[in-house]
Amino acid sequence: MKILVVDDFSTMRRIVKNLLRELGFTNLDEADDGQTAWPKLKAGGYDFLVTDWNMPGMTGIDLLRTVRANPQTANMPVLLVTAESKREQIIEAAQAGVNGYIIKPFTAATLKEKIDKIFARTSA
Amino acid sequence: MVSEADMQNEQDRLDLLEKAQRLIESIENNDNLGTAELLSAISIDNEKRLFNEVGQLTRKLHDNLAAFSLDDQLTALTDKGIPDAKERLNYVIEMTDEAANKTLTAIEEFIPVTTEMERKSEELYKNWNKFLSRELSLAEFKVMSAEITKYLESSCKNTKFVHEKANEIVMAQGFQDLTGQVIKKVIGLVQNVEDSLVELVKIAGAQETSTTSSKTTSSKDKLEGPAVPGIVIDGAVNSQDEVDDLLSSLGF
Repeated sequence: MKILVVDDFSTMRRIVKNLLRELGFTNLDEADDGQTAWPKLKAGGYDFLVTDWNMPGMTGIDLLRTVRANPQTANMPVLLVTAESKREQIIEAAQAGVNGYIIKPFTAATLKEKIDKIFARTSA
Repeated sequence: MVSEADMQNEQDRLDLLEKAQRLIESIENNDNLGTAELLSAISIDNEKRLFNEVGQLTRKLHDNLAAFSLDDQLTALTDKGIPDAKERLNYVIEMTDEAANKTLTAIEEFIPVTTEMERKSEELYKNWNKFLSRELSLAEFKVMSAEITKYLESSCKNTKFVHEKANEIVMAQGFQDLTGQVIKKVIGLVQNVEDSLVELVKIAGAQETSTTSSKTTSSKDKLEGPAVPGIVIDGAVNSQDEVDDLLSSLGF
């Protein structure tokens, strides 16, 4: 299982990667916004995307839409981890096809719970 | 082209010249009364000019202030923007304080545990070497053996504890992202204040009363960023539970 972690803050990328490692995921890669993430995703080999929303270049929601619009990546599970807490944004993300939505600050338990849920669904 | 103000200045100059010539005449003729009257007339003219200028400046300031307060952007900045920025910066202080304390607390909790483990390993290592060089009696070996069992047991528990504390430290670093986003917002606000002040200076300089409000709102401004205590964001959820409820209501 190869996971791409996308966030413009390097500290948050490190935190998410550390937590994922704790959960047993060791094949991790990172990108600092949608623009640098998309070529990686397009090139293939990734099974799961964890992304922030508010980033320069390409935002997380635009990255999600791009992922869904491309047949190669359309079915990839996507988890948004963001500080954006407006209902309309959560709905927007749901409509764009997000698989999970976590608001920052979050706990390790929340991340585990959402990931378990996503994989329970995608494997079902 | 000669303006009205220039003409007024020229008239004032001619009046002053005429008074000055009459003043010289009265001094030459030893006309003390006439000299005194002319000097007083000249000083009254000066005061009048000064009053006129102060009057004009006051009017200009008043007009500019009126135009200024009508500027939506500036009103919004002073009414909401600046107090919000203060709340946001206070939140940055709180978050960095909380993160530093969480980190220090976790370290303070695990350092005594690792210190004790270090002491015990050194002690066991010494005894183990004695045992290898056959310097340990059977009774001493039995004691050491019991100690090793106890040590291994506590070691499992202690390393798990240190691991947990290390994770707490990792999670505490989340403040950098969140405070970074908050500070970026405040920088945007300072930029808006600067733009408005530049505009005010332009208005005052050109003596214009028309306001040209520059809207610098970009699509990125629509994103609210981290929730800050004391700042109400319309339509925002307050917890992860609310996010989950909302998503499950949408069939997730």
